[in-house]
Amino acid sequence: MRKFWTLYSKEMLESLRSYRLVWIPVVFIILGIMQPLTTYYLPDILKASGDMPPGMLEGYEMPGAAAVMAQALGQYGTIGMLVLALAAMNSLAGERSSGSAELLMVKPIAPAVIIFAKWAAHLTVLFIALGLGAAAAGYYTVQLMGSLSVSDCLAAAGLYSLWLLSAVSLTLLFSAFMRGPAAAFLALLSAAGMSLLYSLLPSDFDWLPAALPDLSAGQLTEGSVAWFGPVLSAVLLILACIAGASMLMGRNKLPD
Amino acid sequence: MTLLEVTGLSKSYGKQRSVDNISFVIEAGQCVALLGPNGAGKTTTLRMLAGLLPPSAGQISFNGSLPGTDYRKELGYLPQSPAMYRWMSGLEYVVFAAKLSGIPSREAAKVSAAALERVGLAAAGRRRIGGYSGGMKQRLGLAQALVHRPKLLLLDEPVSALDPIGRREVMELLREIRGETTVIFSTHVLHDAEEICDNVILMNQGTIAVQGELSELRQQYSLPVIRLSVETGSAAAGWLESLALKPFIQASQISGGKAVFNVADVALARRAILQEAVGLNIPLLHFEAGSSTLEDLFMKVVGS
Ligand SMILES: Nc1ncnc2c1ncn2[C@@H]1O[C@H](COP(=O)(O)OP(=O)(O)OP(=O)(O)O)[C@@H](O)[C@H]1O
Ligand SMILES: [Mg+2]
Repeated sequence: MRKFWTLYSKEMLESLRSYRLVWIPVVFIILGIMQPLTTYYLPDILKASGDMPPGMLEGYEMPGAAAVMAQALGQYGTIGMLVLALAAMNSLAGERSSGSAELLMVKPIAPAVIIFAKWAAHLTVLFIALGLGAAAAGYYTVQLMGSLSVSDCLAAAGLYSLWLLSAVSLTLLFSAFMRGPAAAFLALLSAAGMSLLYSLLPSDFDWLPAALPDLSAGQLTEGSVAWFGPVLSAVLLILACIAGASMLMGRNKLPD
Repeated sequence: MTLLEVTGLSKSYGKQRSVDNISFVIEAGQCVALLGPNGAGKTTTLRMLAGLLPPSAGQISFNGSLPGTDYRKELGYLPQSPAMYRWMSGLEYVVFAAKLSGIPSREAAKVSAAALERVGLAAAGRRRIGGYSGGMKQRLGLAQALVHRPKLLLLDEPVSALDPIGRREVMELLREIRGETTVIFSTHVLHDAEEICDNVILMNQGTIAVQGELSELRQQYSLPVIRLSVETGSAAAGWLESLALKPFIQASQISGGKAVFNVADVALARRAILQEAVGLNIPLLHFEAGSSTLEDLFMKVVGS
């Protein structure tokens, strides 16, 4: 346990010194506040751009606060996920190729502890980024659109973070035996594949982790959702990724 | 007391046998040089000893325990090109290594500072590793390998990448360290091995060519040779020519006041030559008997 903390603090120190702990939350905050701002000011923006056919704005109805908040969280599914995968892709591959893994693996530690510490550090960064981003989005939504249920927001952000964490865990798994960029690419491809399956056949695949973004939106707009299946499958996927990465790391510890 | 017993250790990559059925025993407190040319299998052997590579065959028994027991706690390891986190400071890295070896935080800070002091990095301890020179990195590598007082220290070419000054510094350190713990270090320079170790394992193409105590090997492989040189331009040159005709000298090479004599009996030849030199008042510059030809042995093993 002490060794876990040692490794975890090292990971967090690296996040801090490489400014990952700063720029990822900043990206998430910007993404989060864009949605309420653009929604609110859309009519003005369109008007200012001039040549609008008359009557076009008459049908425009300001969406409700919950819908805007759901869209704001939805922003994290693309750029947010990309940013997280890029930040995670070298955490194992980089240690291996630079040779620092060699020094780490002669220490009396189980590979699983190393992987778990890395995973926990990525989880921390994700929580900080998504927490600040969602808080900023919520703040502007409430200011501009109207009130929101705090507990619904928390639940929605939680569901969304589980989806992002699945992608991060996949990146970690692939980076245990591939080069960083390939690992990020494959992880994003797997996430996109799951999303595609879910969007093509939603009723057959509503248990996939890819259903989590929809659930998160539903939580905000409807207030309650059937979360059990996707949450369970996401947790299982994440555990499998950690276990797989630990096994692979135990085997691939030397620079190739 | 036997610290490490290796039996039939092999590692194959596909068809290539990088390490081929090697066996050796290392006693506690010994300093052993793993000597061999590029590609001999030194790194592969050390990595197997460090538990980083699973052997294809063979067994490693540490401190009398069953083969397969995890002994990483008792191990200090310095890879051929150590990669330490550039964004950490030297002190942070050694503390990190100490804690991972199981030393509690407070003690870790203390022993790490001592280890840095030890390798002469106390002043640079707070600087980022990214700004260290090659010699400083190597010394930091030694500090992290030493900090938990391991029973066995594995060093992979600790001085090969260094300039003469860095090399000197690290060799001095190694000389100190070998008194405290068991050391195996690899090198492709015979001179490095002779400088600090009493035992060598000479590897070539994955197998052990020769192993044993350096002094014994020196005797065993020393040809009975006498080398001497005299002041040039004196009557001594004629004396050298006359020596070549003596019965105890089998072959000779003489050029410019220098002579190499192959002899049958070193002790006899030495006595006879020195007596004559004194008697004839010969201005001797250099005299060497039964000279070590480990270098020749090394070259022969490496060249074949
Ligand atoms: N991962 C690997 N895959 C395939 N062959 C390898 C691998 N690692 C080492 N070898 C081969 O094993 C042999 C021994 O390599 P090793 O690195 O142990 O030599 P070395 O004695 O350390 O040499 P050097 O002095 O250059 O460091 C070499 O022929 C090398 O090509
Ligand atoms: Mg080597």
